[in-house]
Amino acid sequence: MRDLGDAPSMRDLVADLRERLAVVRQGGSEAARAKHTGRGKLLVRDRVDRLLDPGSPFLELSPLAAYGMYGRDADDLNAVPSASIVTGIGRVNGREVVVIANDATVKGGTYYPMTVKKHLRAQTVAADNNLPCIALVDSGGAFLPMQDDVFPDREHFGRIFFNQANLSAQGVPQIAAVMGSCTAGGAYVPAMSDETVIVKEQGTIFLGGPPLVKAATGEVVSAEDLGGGDVHARKSGVVDHLAEDDAHALAIVRSIVDTLPATSGYPTPGRRIEPGPVEEPHESPDSLYDVVPTDTRTPYDVRDVIRRIVDGSRMHEFKKLYGETLVTCFAKIHGYDVGIVANNGILFSESALKGAHFIELCNQRGIPLVFLQNITGFMVGREYENRGIARDGAKLVTAVACSVVPKFTVVIGGSFGAGNYGMCGRAYDPRFLWMWPNARISVMGGEQAASVLATVRTDLETDEQVEAFKAPIRDQYETQGSPYYSTARLWDDGVIDPADTRRVLGMGLAVAANAPVPDPSYGIFRM
Amino acid sequence: MDALLVANRGEIALRVLRTAHATGLRTVAVFTAADRDAAHVREADEALEVPGYLDVEAIVAAARDSGAEAIHPGYGFLSERAAFAREIEGTDGIVLVGPGSGVMEAMGKKDAARDIAVAAGVPVVPSYDLDADPAGFAYPVLVKAAAGGGGKGMRIVRSSSEYDAALAAARREALSAFGDDTILIEKYVEHGRHIEVQVLADHHGNVVHLFERDCSTQRRHQKVLEEAPAPTITQAQRELVTRSAVALCREVGYTNAGTVEFLLDSDSGEVYFLEMNTRLQVEHPVTEAVVRVRGERIDLVEQQLLVAAGRPLDFTQDDVTLEGHAVEARIYAEDSFGGFLPQAGTAELVRWPATPFGDPAAPVRVDAALESGQVVTSGFDPMLGKVIAWGADREEARTTLVDALDRTGVLGLTTNTGFVRALAAGTEFREAAIDTAWLDHAEVAAPDPEVALVTAAWVDAVLHSPRFSDRPGDPFATDGWRVAGPHARTLVALETPEGRRELRVDVPGHRVDDYFVREHRLADHTAVLSLDGSRETAYVNATAHKVEVAHRGQRHSFERPDAFADHGPAVGDGTLLAPMPGTVLDVHVTVGQQVDEGETLGAMEAMKMELALKAPFAGTVTEVHVAAGQQVPLGAVLLVVEADSAG
Repeated sequence: MRDLGDAPSMRDLVADLRERLAVVRQGGSEAARAKHTGRGKLLVRDRVDRLLDPGSPFLELSPLAAYGMYGRDADDLNAVPSASIVTGIGRVNGREVVVIANDATVKGGTYYPMTVKKHLRAQTVAADNNLPCIALVDSGGAFLPMQDDVFPDREHFGRIFFNQANLSAQGVPQIAAVMGSCTAGGAYVPAMSDETVIVKEQGTIFLGGPPLVKAATGEVVSAEDLGGGDVHARKSGVVDHLAEDDAHALAIVRSIVDTLPATSGYPTPGRRIEPGPVEEPHESPDSLYDVVPTDTRTPYDVRDVIRRIVDGSRMHEFKKLYGETLVTCFAKIHGYDVGIVANNGILFSESALKGAHFIELCNQRGIPLVFLQNITGFMVGREYENRGIARDGAKLVTAVACSVVPKFTVVIGGSFGAGNYGMCGRAYDPRFLWMWPNARISVMGGEQAASVLATVRTDLETDEQVEAFKAPIRDQYETQGSPYYSTARLWDDGVIDPADTRRVLGMGLAVAANAPVPDPSYGIFRM
Repeated sequence: MDALLVANRGEIALRVLRTAHATGLRTVAVFTAADRDAAHVREADEALEVPGYLDVEAIVAAARDSGAEAIHPGYGFLSERAAFAREIEGTDGIVLVGPGSGVMEAMGKKDAARDIAVAAGVPVVPSYDLDADPAGFAYPVLVKAAAGGGGKGMRIVRSSSEYDAALAAARREALSAFGDDTILIEKYVEHGRHIEVQVLADHHGNVVHLFERDCSTQRRHQKVLEEAPAPTITQAQRELVTRSAVALCREVGYTNAGTVEFLLDSDSGEVYFLEMNTRLQVEHPVTEAVVRVRGERIDLVEQQLLVAAGRPLDFTQDDVTLEGHAVEARIYAEDSFGGFLPQAGTAELVRWPATPFGDPAAPVRVDAALESGQVVTSGFDPMLGKVIAWGADREEARTTLVDALDRTGVLGLTTNTGFVRALAAGTEFREAAIDTAWLDHAEVAAPDPEVALVTAAWVDAVLHSPRFSDRPGDPFATDGWRVAGPHARTLVALETPEGRRELRVDVPGHRVDDYFVREHRLADHTAVLSLDGSRETAYVNATAHKVEVAHRGQRHSFERPDAFADHGPAVGDGTLLAPMPGTVLDVHVTVGQQVDEGETLGAMEAMKMELALKAPFAGTVTEVHVAAGQQVPLGAVLLVVEADSAG
């Protein structure tokens, strides 16, 4: 990665993001890719491109998952590119679908902890938004050396099949194409699907592979005879369609999607989100690069960001003169009504109360919420504590937590402390959460954390000792506060180019429009 | 004369109606049930249904009932039926726009026409007496039906040994086609040019010629390209043919428009009378394009109507001059590169290079009735229309025609447009080296589909791009957007004659695979693109199942791959299994026997049904496991067929 120096510009940060993505998009090693394509198989992103409609965008989720994890050493940043799985949303036959595709060129497509997390996250997106799931299976199953972090827990491998059963139960279609191996637990991905395709002489499905069968019963059998396409299409009935090759399998999947009812999920009561006519912002999204300082400590007016995201650069600001450190406004993005909540400084009681009021309005009106997060936290100090800032902060957190309208969060700067909660951090179930490449995320700033920890220590006497204690803490916060540290661990759905913010939010809104909005209800607001 | 009935359909009916309307006549069309919605029915002031276009009684009755005072027969159908002319002559108050029945009858028979020509001093092809000894003929000779036309009942004989068989065959064909097996034997001209002279004669003894046309580019006597004036003719030859044509008309007392056909022997320079066509010709527009009467254009249909009304010609031979050159291409519903098979179907999209029957003085003229959505059946003449180009000289006319054919597109139905375009653009036609036999043995290479394929891919991708979206501002706009990375190219998969092609189109990057594409125009099914700098015009119709492109006149139809199409049994799947438990009724084959694809190899009975056991592909029977009467369980191997290695 490029050396960003002291004050990288937003353009530098975006170029860095693009470079990182270009690397992971290649998938596994050149040798692994050559071996894969040599068998007549398509690379995972080529499969996705073919599955989707001509020209369909693909809102890939967390492409930098597992970045910097699972390496042999600290420099081995791309040991498991994209966590060996590609997930995202694109259109097939004009409707949005969730795609979950293993990358067999990366460690045989095996499931690392982040692979499981990413698969489950994609299923959550499908569940929240009523999107059909299309699995393109090509995986050796769980990554055995890390089985304790992959297999046993509630949100581990087994949850994938639990979700498939329950999504299907809710009327959300589950479609799988087996385009490579599909072993052990992985065999349940097609088996648990509503309709399945297998590629002849490529796809295999078995609970135990030939080596395990030999070990268990002594039977010697080829993979094709044990669980090849012919076996499953003609004898076992595990699959429904036999494809000649990858391209044919994907064409069959597209044809299956064509047979699905126009909307997924059984009808539930609720309000519908509908777009109106669309107007481009008056200022180009690219100009965001110039109005946003990349140093989170430099103040700027967040309205400059909003105007570059919303239709016609028009905002109907709510309570403009009250609680000025939080900007709340109604606007449209790609024709969808939205309520925007954006930080414009530190949170005070008034800003928290204003935010809670605005969120209640949006819930009452069925308007999706967009949080533009750039927050160092709530104001501290005796005066504020005594006046009950915690009580007002709790009101904001309650309003956010109990919101029933779709929420979207973009971390456009800092995301620190309780500000993260009040501004709909990952724990508050936004439909999507994206980060800009300049974003920072941690419970507090590195310096503050080091100071707090130094203060509670009694054995630090000299300035040198204090500094020696604080330096590694600052370093730790510096590393862990990076958006790439975050996105590697799926604390977000991806790092995006700020110029794409409007487009990405628009896609998120279009996706959310597939599910109705229930009636609002809240917990107790502490008065 | 106030009202005219047009006893024809298609482009010639429209052609006649145009002039009739221009001269202020009330017009009456006739039509059959299949033509109820045809263009000529819409165009005429009145239209009457008749059982058929050859129904003399019904058509004369239609003229009487509608008050028409004249009947224009067009070409084909009743235009040269003396019986039709006679019927009209016997009906008061109605005239035929054409010559008298007697002349028609005389000229309709080749032997009679030949005698008249000889009497008029017109050179005729040396002939042989049927009773003479064939061993004494100078071969090759042509054996042809006296009543014939269109190549029927015609045989080229190259030696006396073939003579008897050829004569018998020609007689048979003549009898079945014309009901008359009179046969003529003539010298066969190996390298000939087809020259024909347009004549016009009134009822007052005036006869003029309007110079000649050359229709040498023909295939099996079906004209493909026609031009005026003739490109290779000498002044002496021109004088001979025009003088002969006028003399023949005078000899026979011809009236109205007619065409006298000659064969010009390229080797000897001799000219021979062939036959006379007693009607307006398909190719009359090339004459209209180049002939000037006192400097003005002439409308042959208008002249026909004036003559039929009894008016004398208002000009003399000295007033007639030529200006420039014209070439006409006939557009047929046929697959010229697929054995010239006639085609039928729906012309889903039709683009002509000029408005049909528009300005006759424009450099490109189109006479055509075919419109988008029209169904073309094999029940009528396969000619769909004509494209005529004029230029100051032959080369200008030729290049204008090539350009006009490039801007002609018929989709949904294959036509010969690409074939005539290739001919008109070829060296042989450019050098006027095509004689009447050339097309019968020359191979015209089928056009390369590459430009059409690349155009199909580009247009298909652009049609899927946000530019043609019905959801403006859609965040899922089809621009191939990816998260902070290069947008995805659009894959277009199409079936071609050489197999499936997958082309990757980068619309914003202006690329189709390695071609750089500049789009000049894309609207109304018309694509004008530069591919690597070469500018091409094509007509495109993209539907859910295929993309069709007309490029340089040629229709290319690219099917989209069908995921559920039958992929066919792979080699090795030649094992026939019992589909149900049952009894083998019969086994027709033994080991080692060659079988064809689909051949019945045996039969079995199961669940009260008799099932034929068929070969999945051509090959050899390698195993027979059952015999008649044998009970077999479900899935029992019955027979095995192995594909031939060549297959």
